[in-house]
Amino acid sequence: MSDLPNETNNNEEELRIGVYICHCGSNIAGVIDPEEVVKFAEGLPDVVRATDTLYACADSGQRLIKEDIEKFKLNRVVVSACSVRMHEPTFRGAVAEAGLNPFLMEMANIREQCTWAHGHDREGALQKSMDLTAAAVAKTRFLTTLDMIDVPVTKKALVIGGGVAGITASLDLAEQGIETILVEKEPTIGGVMSQLNKTFPTMDCSI
Amino acid sequence: MVDAARQPKIDVRTYTEVESVEGFVGNFKVTLREKAKHVLADRCNGCGDCARVCPIEVPNYYEMNLAPRKAVYIPMSQSVPLVYTVDLDACIHCYKCVEACGPLKAIDFSQEDKYVQEDIGAIVVATGFGHFDPSVMEEYGYGRFPNVITSMEMERLNNSAGLTAGNLIRPSDRKNPQKLAFINCVGSRDKRYNPGCSNFCCMYSIKNAVLLKQMYPNVDITIYYMDIRTPSKGYEEFYDRAREMGIHFVQGRPSLITEDEETHNLFVHSEDISLGRVIEKEYDMVMLNQAAVPQPDQNHMSSVLNVVQSPGGWFMEYHPKLRPIDSPTDGIFFAGACQGPKDIPASVAAGSAAASRASRILHSEKWEIEPIVAVVWPDRCSATTKGRACGLCVKACPYGAVVIDGDKAAEIITAKCHGCGGCVAECPEDAITQMHYTDAQILSQIRALLADKPEEKILAFRCQWCSYGGADLAGTSHFEYTANERGLRVMCSARMDSDFIYEAYRLGAGAVLYSGCHPQDCHYITGQKVGAKRADRLKKMFERMNMTDGRFRVEWISAAEGDKYARVLNEMQMTLDNMSPEELRDEIERLKPDMEKRLKRFPGVPGVSEAMDYSDTLVDAILKAKETS
Repeated sequence: MSDLPNETNNNEEELRIGVYICHCGSNIAGVIDPEEVVKFAEGLPDVVRATDTLYACADSGQRLIKEDIEKFKLNRVVVSACSVRMHEPTFRGAVAEAGLNPFLMEMANIREQCTWAHGHDREGALQKSMDLTAAAVAKTRFLTTLDMIDVPVTKKALVIGGGVAGITASLDLAEQGIETILVEKEPTIGGVMSQLNKTFPTMDCSI
Repeated sequence: MVDAARQPKIDVRTYTEVESVEGFVGNFKVTLREKAKHVLADRCNGCGDCARVCPIEVPNYYEMNLAPRKAVYIPMSQSVPLVYTVDLDACIHCYKCVEACGPLKAIDFSQEDKYVQEDIGAIVVATGFGHFDPSVMEEYGYGRFPNVITSMEMERLNNSAGLTAGNLIRPSDRKNPQKLAFINCVGSRDKRYNPGCSNFCCMYSIKNAVLLKQMYPNVDITIYYMDIRTPSKGYEEFYDRAREMGIHFVQGRPSLITEDEETHNLFVHSEDISLGRVIEKEYDMVMLNQAAVPQPDQNHMSSVLNVVQSPGGWFMEYHPKLRPIDSPTDGIFFAGACQGPKDIPASVAAGSAAASRASRILHSEKWEIEPIVAVVWPDRCSATTKGRACGLCVKACPYGAVVIDGDKAAEIITAKCHGCGGCVAECPEDAITQMHYTDAQILSQIRALLADKPEEKILAFRCQWCSYGGADLAGTSHFEYTANERGLRVMCSARMDSDFIYEAYRLGAGAVLYSGCHPQDCHYITGQKVGAKRADRLKKMFERMNMTDGRFRVEWISAAEGDKYARVLNEMQMTLDNMSPEELRDEIERLKPDMEKRLKRFPGVPGVSEAMDYSDTLVDAILKAKETS
């Protein structure tokens, strides 16, 4: 665990932020011009590097970020691309490989929550991409390094439902040596499949 | 089935329900209710002497209620485990079964439901699907006409292990039917009931038709279909085979079934698209291929497991393409048709996939979780400043992770904290912060998002697990909504501090959306309730201030409700469009002093005044950069 977040944040060092605007092929670049966002980001405080990239998540995109971290001595990274649900682990991994704490990377979602939803309003989408990028830059200003927390693992599985999917999952887990509890609410396992006569397409028996 | 019972590492617990699931990945605490069977599993040898003497008969669910079972019963002869169960609702306590069991003494009426707690590392949810009840479709007469049955009933009627030992008879006169029809898409692909396709019914009706044709080569079988969907390996070939066997296929969805009252024969009225006209044909028996629907208790299980449901009620996966087996909760995985209709090969594949996802965790000595936990500044806690801790943080925490020991400042037990941020936003002394979601970080984001023309903007606070996912889905589905939305993500609506909302209005925001999950879906058990209570308070306060209705919206939006996210934002835009610029500006200015008053203590929060100074520079830079770019 890291210490308390320093009350005046831990940025004694000079901030050096790198900003990456992803085209995502035409998913983003088909609606807005990423270069406009790059030009905008260059004007934000502490941004020492801003550039666009065709696919930030591709090897080439990740390599660019990693090389830049060293070349520009970046200590914060902003990736304006897709949803955090999609690629936050990817970019955290990339910056970590370059020696930066993964929690010093922040994403702006300019795809799912911008270009994909505002195809009807290109200027609006561009303005929003800029603001979302600026907000991510702003957040990085106050980010602190954090370490993942390790939790112990109880080596036992619970499978809820004794139909064909639950039985398969239980057998697969058990055959790997994992203790498995298979819970079924009815008096017998088997589920719907056991009620069937033959099954398609091979017409074999179902039990 | 028997493999599972034989495998020493599998502990099969039938007649058992999951009561509650607490904890987190690697460390779940699960309470199971082992319902009383009133039969001792280690003594019952499955001989069935008890059932033979039992005088009570009730319908057997396993035979689709077409055949009876006794009050002491096994659902089918191949039951696993082969242990009888006494159904106390049906039992008349004659105790003949006890007598018949004799010296085995396997029947025990004193048995009660047993609650057992288990420590579990990972959970696979494989709760399956239910069957649509076609009796609501009056046009097909199911329940009124004896010879209209469901295809699941058909399964039991032509099954050699079923009630007629595989001799297909029709219910009205027990004669072997000669002319049969199957109707597909009953309750599926039907906007009145379920818009989705049930996935396996095309193949399923073809299977039943082929099976009957093999058993009774002279019967005449017709399948009424909308489209035949046979996309998997070997399926199209199977369909071809059915046609070659002389099974008729009519493209058309029947609109009505009528019955001859005397013969109980049925007339199916339908369009035949290939003929281009309406047809009416007589059959001895009609099978309805009913839709696959979520389990009747799926909503309940959704709350027990804290997992979200897609529209239609199925469990929703973390990501439909990239993480189709994972639930949004780390350590809980889905297998089979609980996520949506799946046929047998797909269910088996999903079972293996879920086992594989779960075993990543179960084979690890330790698992990493995000360090987004709460941290107390002890010198700010009222225990320190006023000599007495107020305890609001303890009340806000769903996990018991905040403790107050005597007159000492509140303390967070990191291992118990899940990082919802409820205690942080509830603390009246601003004595708690959340790693990675500090006030300073969020404030500077708000300032950046509202830097340019704030009065045109809709600042949308979303929780990580649901409403952020809903916004994602709106985009993925290309549901268009106003580009004036500016989204800000926190982990839970519990973290949406009143100060953030005041600050947004102080800066002149046009509107603010306060959104999170539905109460039953909350990733943090009761985090949403903490957020909802605060939102309600804010809403009432803004009403008292005569803020225009709709400028502050509170909406609960699940990760499955992309359409709702888009609709809410568009409605908020309409609220703003309905105000003249002067009207809006006047209202913003009128409310500003009030907001400032409420924010008086905000700059005292560690990091906030620095964030404010920084934000001034940032806002200038944003405006300048926008001018030049």
